[in-house]
Amino acid sequence: MAFYEENPHKIDSADIVAAIPSFSEAEGIGYVVEQVDRGLREHFGHLKSVIINCDNHSSDGTKEAFFSAPGQVPRMYLSTPPGVRGKGNNLRNLFEKVRELRAEAVVVIEADVKNVQPLWVKNLAEPILKGVGYVCPLYVRHKYEATMTSSIIYPLLRCLYGRRVRQPNVGDFGFKGKLAEVFLDSPVWTEAVQNFGVDIWMTNIALSSRMPVCQSFMGGPKVHRVKDPYAHLNVLFQQVLSTIFDLMMVYADFWKQVKWSKPTALFGTDVHEVDTPIPVEVNAARLHERFLEGYDEHSATWPRIFDQTVVPKLQEIHGMGLQHFSFPTQTWAKILFDAATAYHKMNASERGTLLDSLLPLYLGKVLSFVKKTERMSLQQAEEYIENECTIFEENKPYLVKVWE
Amino acid sequence: MPKILVVDDEEHIRLLYSEELKEVGYEVITAESGYRLLETIEEEKPDLVVLDIKMVDYNGLDLLQDIRNRYYDLPVILSTAYDTFKEDMKSIAADFYVVKSFDLTELKKKIAMALETRLPT
Repeated sequence: MAFYEENPHKIDSADIVAAIPSFSEAEGIGYVVEQVDRGLREHFGHLKSVIINCDNHSSDGTKEAFFSAPGQVPRMYLSTPPGVRGKGNNLRNLFEKVRELRAEAVVVIEADVKNVQPLWVKNLAEPILKGVGYVCPLYVRHKYEATMTSSIIYPLLRCLYGRRVRQPNVGDFGFKGKLAEVFLDSPVWTEAVQNFGVDIWMTNIALSSRMPVCQSFMGGPKVHRVKDPYAHLNVLFQQVLSTIFDLMMVYADFWKQVKWSKPTALFGTDVHEVDTPIPVEVNAARLHERFLEGYDEHSATWPRIFDQTVVPKLQEIHGMGLQHFSFPTQTWAKILFDAATAYHKMNASERGTLLDSLLPLYLGKVLSFVKKTERMSLQQAEEYIENECTIFEENKPYLVKVWE
Repeated sequence: MPKILVVDDEEHIRLLYSEELKEVGYEVITAESGYRLLETIEEEKPDLVVLDIKMVDYNGLDLLQDIRNRYYDLPVILSTAYDTFKEDMKSIAADFYVVKSFDLTELKKKIAMALETRLPT
């Protein structure tokens, strides 16, 4: 149960819950509330809706900004205790409230998004009301946006769980109310899940729940108020990867049965005007430097983790200059498969070192991707990623073998 | 024997696909347009659909949406003479795509992969 709750309209049931998780978002939450309110009234005016702000006990006036934003849909405020942070903790309060309200559909939209539109609410909630279990949005993205998704999360989740969900940890989603129960019952509730890992944790659980999953095209990019993609890279990397690896242990019987992958249904294709992605600049020289620095720092760890064929390959990659830098996808797939297996077999206390040692390799893989795709269109870069996913799928029998 | 439905408005393509796929052991049925396609799928219960994207009266990508909305897991392979369709988001709901050719090696490979795909139920 949430530490603190304000329910001025005494809401005790709802068909649709629209949730806005937050921490210190007084400046931007009003706009999000207004757009979500419009979306609920324009598209689901015949249903009983509530907007819930799931907050980390912000002291900047987030709660007041939430309640004072224009709109007509009833609102509710939930909060963690003072000092307890993390989107995961906010969403746990949401899951409990969804269960209590017996909601049919739940939509989650982040509080710091600058360009939310009422249509987003429709595209995330409507598939749920039509029988889908979980909806991931598809935003328009530049080829160098969300490189952790392109190079790790998407190929890994796709080859493990067999569904092609392109943006599985984008932060916004729709889900069937019944899935809240499944989330609350998950045996994995780590510090990582309570923080950055929660988005991938939800998608991962949804993919293994056997409920239909779909993707909804949103027609444009997602623009955060302020977001430096490298601001929390180390923590984000550790939390996301450890969450995927932790869940691999829980769902091993599921993913071992999966062969190849299948597409999902697609919603929102009637969007007429599609915005262009926001350009993303990449500093290739800096990525190369960080790869080399990380190599020096962590290469002693790798022989204990990776197959004997990987380390010589990494030495070869290390010897390449920036101009000819290339990180083969097959090597990358093997690295992630070996790392997941080592994580599974080692003591919990050693896992942090393992995850730290993967970060420079990830940066090397990103550099390789940038070099291979620098002259490619967005479409061509997407095809390149699809081919990389096929390489992961082709090499999956290796993972099954080493895991056992 | 897996049953494959080939939907294409060009007769020579239907004949070519039909003969070659039968030769490698598939049962093949054909449709010359998207007319009543969902009803055909309901009646014939194919294991896989090979779908032309550009037909005279039908857009294969719209048909793909209809199929996917009703048959969540039915494998669909898009068959096309041009790859410009990839700019359309709807194409990601297909299992695979192939460029039309008289050499059906790629199509046969994709069919085998799609039929081998296994997810726990």
